[in-house]
Amino acid sequence: MATDTLKSPAGASGAPGGLRRLLLDNGALTALIVLVIAMSALSGDFMTTDNLLNVGVQAAVTAILAFGVTFVIVSAGIDLSVGSVAALSATVLAWSATSQGIPVVLAVVLAIATGIACGVVNGILISYGKLPPFIATLAMLSVARGLSLVISQGSPIALPDSVSHLGDTLGGWLPVPVLVMVGMGLITAFVLGRTYIGRSMYAIGGNEEAARLSGLRVKKQKLAIYAFSGLFAAAAGIVLAARLSSAQPQAAQGYELDAIAAVVIGGASLAGGTGKASGTLIGALILAVLRNGLNLLSVSAFWQQVVIGVVIALAVLLDTVRRKAGATPVAAGTSQGGKGRQAATYVLAAVVAAALVGAMSFLHTGSSEAKSKKIGLSLSTLNNPFFVQIRAGAQAEAKKLGVDLTVTDAQNDASQQANQLQNFTSEGLGTIIVNPVDSDAVTPAAKAVNKSDIPLVAVDRSVNNASTAALVASDNVTGGKLAAKSLAEKLGGQGRIVILQGQAGTSASRERGSGFAEGLKAYPDIEVVAKQPADWDRTKGLDVMTNLLQANPDIDGVFAENDEMALGAIKALGSKAGKSVQVIGFDGTADGLKAVEAGTLYASVAQQPTELGRIAVQNAVKAAAGDKVEKSVMVPVKVVTKENVAGFTG
Amino acid sequence: MSNADELLRIEGIRKVFPGVVALDGVDFDLRRGEVHVLLGENGAGKSTLIKMLSGAYTPDAGRILVGGEETRIHGAQDSERLGIATIYQEFNLVPDLTVAENIFLGRQPRRFGMIDRKKMEADAEVFLARVGVKVSPRARVRELGIARLQMVEIAKALSLNARVLIMDEPTAVLTSEEVEKLFTIVRRLREDGVGIVFITHHLEEIAALGDRVTVIRDGKSVGQVPAATPEDELVRLMVGRSIEQQYPRERADRGAALLSVEGLTRDGVFHDVSFEVHAGEVVGIAGLVGAGRTEVVRAVFGADPYDKGAVKVGGSALPKYDVNAAMTAGIGLIPEDRKGQGLVLDASVEENLGLVTLRAATRAGLVDLKGQREAAARIAGQLGVRMAGLGQHVRTLSGGNQQKVVIGKWLLADTKVLILDEPTRGIDVGAKVEIYQLINELTAQGAAVVMISSDLPEVLGMSDRVLVMAQGRIAGELTADEATQDSVMALAVSNPTDKTGTTDKTGTEATRGH
Repeated sequence: MATDTLKSPAGASGAPGGLRRLLLDNGALTALIVLVIAMSALSGDFMTTDNLLNVGVQAAVTAILAFGVTFVIVSAGIDLSVGSVAALSATVLAWSATSQGIPVVLAVVLAIATGIACGVVNGILISYGKLPPFIATLAMLSVARGLSLVISQGSPIALPDSVSHLGDTLGGWLPVPVLVMVGMGLITAFVLGRTYIGRSMYAIGGNEEAARLSGLRVKKQKLAIYAFSGLFAAAAGIVLAARLSSAQPQAAQGYELDAIAAVVIGGASLAGGTGKASGTLIGALILAVLRNGLNLLSVSAFWQQVVIGVVIALAVLLDTVRRKAGATPVAAGTSQGGKGRQAATYVLAAVVAAALVGAMSFLHTGSSEAKSKKIGLSLSTLNNPFFVQIRAGAQAEAKKLGVDLTVTDAQNDASQQANQLQNFTSEGLGTIIVNPVDSDAVTPAAKAVNKSDIPLVAVDRSVNNASTAALVASDNVTGGKLAAKSLAEKLGGQGRIVILQGQAGTSASRERGSGFAEGLKAYPDIEVVAKQPADWDRTKGLDVMTNLLQANPDIDGVFAENDEMALGAIKALGSKAGKSVQVIGFDGTADGLKAVEAGTLYASVAQQPTELGRIAVQNAVKAAAGDKVEKSVMVPVKVVTKENVAGFTG
Repeated sequence: MSNADELLRIEGIRKVFPGVVALDGVDFDLRRGEVHVLLGENGAGKSTLIKMLSGAYTPDAGRILVGGEETRIHGAQDSERLGIATIYQEFNLVPDLTVAENIFLGRQPRRFGMIDRKKMEADAEVFLARVGVKVSPRARVRELGIARLQMVEIAKALSLNARVLIMDEPTAVLTSEEVEKLFTIVRRLREDGVGIVFITHHLEEIAALGDRVTVIRDGKSVGQVPAATPEDELVRLMVGRSIEQQYPRERADRGAALLSVEGLTRDGVFHDVSFEVHAGEVVGIAGLVGAGRTEVVRAVFGADPYDKGAVKVGGSALPKYDVNAAMTAGIGLIPEDRKGQGLVLDASVEENLGLVTLRAATRAGLVDLKGQREAAARIAGQLGVRMAGLGQHVRTLSGGNQQKVVIGKWLLADTKVLILDEPTRGIDVGAKVEIYQLINELTAQGAAVVMISSDLPEVLGMSDRVLVMAQGRIAGELTADEATQDSVMALAVSNPTDKTGTTDKTGTEATRGH
């Protein structure tokens, strides 16, 4: 690439000088090395073959997406749709291979064709429709995500076994995703460096008008560039689904931003004209090493996000400083000024390293205890009071029993959860507690835990098709039935109600929904006039309820599948809540119970999240010690109304 | 210093960038009411010097005295306070604000926290009148032609109460008539006691406007001479050797017609343009800025669409708006805006040279990188591109060398008809002559050159035939013998017969070309 040709003659000045130059020329590589050194100094579990392969697997999906985005960014565009396109391609693959019975090979071709088609549509909108790439791909982000939900009807689809092998290992140790990542990386380097379209990308990104006036067919090239991005997104989607053995319509949310970050950390400029495959790979590895290392170090889930953001900024800053030092290419190495700037680069690198080491040793809590006393808890999310309460219960119990508990947050992303379980396994913890993002998607990771003989305890949601030492859950189906019963009785057995559903495709939403429907059968005079998802979220609950009220102003009741959405609905109902409209929620969170007390929320089907966390840890400790534990512990649910709220504590 | 008339003095300034000594021992001084010309080849250090005065750089050694007192200029605020204003080639104006808002940008008069438009516009009017330009303070800057933009910049400088006005190649983008207007303004400012630092590559302007000349070569001031110094002597000082002939045109034999343009029309832009270009000749296209010259050649090259007419090569018409068809037919275009349209600035010399031939060097999707590199090395050597290596980014080359790279990429593609749009704008004398030599070589080999230029002596000196455009039409054609400054200008300001009956804009200054 452009800079290589410039640096190569100077680089031949002996090995140590060459290495130093390599590091100076590539700020991202320096950052990666600093990071790896810091991690291995802080955690003995980091520098093991197993863990490094884990890092590779965990980087794979982001890296493959990022390779595709590299093409786009080099040509001065942007592609926000890659995450959604990946999910759509995976869904198409699973759907056509299972429910449509198409041969797997054809299904894979179809999935890849889907990715390319999305890219071509992006390209047409941008080249011929003259839409800004940001807008065109933002539209595609939404369309592709929507289509994957339509095709899958919101639930995960299991993959045929032959595809799932893509997520396995070769010869028992070499993970296929890593191979795919390396393969795609080589293809990217080849395309960028040697092919007509690759060289055109640099020219178009550097100066589109000059490229056009030099006879490059810019519009057609752009079409091809976005098609490439779509192709890579499809490949990433297939690898992602293979790792989880199922295609998740909600998979890879927000991955486009990770991919863009990886490309930029790797030294590309969003203004176009620069960027390399190797840089992008390094960028993706930096992100993966960071996530992996922070898991190993038991850094608090909240702080992890802070640290990741800071490291992204520092990595790019390091590269910027390096670039300034290299601004006068020829004689820089010999002059005073050059040396000063080099020194500045070193100093900055040292500061980064020191800050990193300092921050982590500050943030991660002591780890001197024996491994068997260590427990890992992977929560589906911490963006919801219910799960925060599970964590509180778990932490309190762990403290009481004197065990070291590491809590991670999967941010509702099944593949991140798989990474976290992988990290826990390679750390060799005593027991692992998982609160699955999705009961099916967690299977491959759970199987891997089973293989390592670490007991696995599931909390709140079950793990399908893998063995768990215990399941600690509240009964969602029963809860749904109870909700139906109390709402119907309050309404006197007749009325019009709406249902606010949780995130489409989650097991909790399915179970609560089906329980509620079943419970409602006993009350034929109650009519469900609308049923819409609000994604467990209070703001969305407010918006969706406002919209539903436009269409159905005269409803009598609302069932929200969790308290957060119920609270949003109450805001939308205003003064009607608790008077002419009865709202019932689920979970019994602190805010929910306050609303029950105030009378705006008629009732909440209370789970006892603190109890869930507490019992999960109890069972985990027993399992680690080899004691017998009950296969299924059902924590009772309870309908909390104004009458009994005073006596209830989660 | 005792001289009360002295506004500015620079002594022994030195500035080092990593690996490069940009300035070394430069002396310069400026008095009240004089035009002091700063002369030097591209890369000699003129820009670095004026950036020290505007506060963009600080010197490593030496002194800057303003009004006899030693000062340090650390930024734009400092230079503004000292009454130093700089007008760069790229204007610092906000296109969507009005003229008045641009003049007072950041210093708009305010009343009760709101901008006092009335006062601002009245004040702007005063400064615009002092410059002598008729433009409404309420006009949007986007709507103004390039010459008026410059006037607005000068008005802005005056509003800052500037005693020192630095003008970086202000005439490079102006037509002869606009240059005359500018000179009138500059002379008026000089009478008002403003000291003006004037940078130009046009030697004839020095005698017309300047008082003294400081020549800079390779970062050193090599001499200070009166403006009346003969041009040959100035050139010798500037390039360190004498240049035999400024326009060394060697006429080749005229061959068959390579390109014929018939009745080319784009409504409202150019009308019924017809001409032929023969092998071995240089056809100059002269005219005022905005006469439609650039638009015509872009249409011929397929970069822009046209409504009527035909472009024929070897008897067959080319499809319109198709750069690739024009390229295949052997037409090449060196665009007017070298940096914006000719080069990928952050790519290497090698990559830029290989851009046009990229497709031809591709087999089964793969680029023959080795072949490309060899070709680039050959052409760069042939053109004498001064660079650190093929890997150097073209952004860091001087203007003349950048232009050689743009020409080089078309030479590699075996271009038969090369269209040069303002090929020597902003290029120093030495490099200009090298480009003229290239034109000679091309025509000697049987290719043809179409050259648009606003530099009349260049058109007259290099063309075998001159087409003069006015208001989107060909106003006339002159042979090399007929063409003189007067005859060309007479055609350029004429009002060519309007067969269609529609009347175009009548002003001599139109909006900017591309």
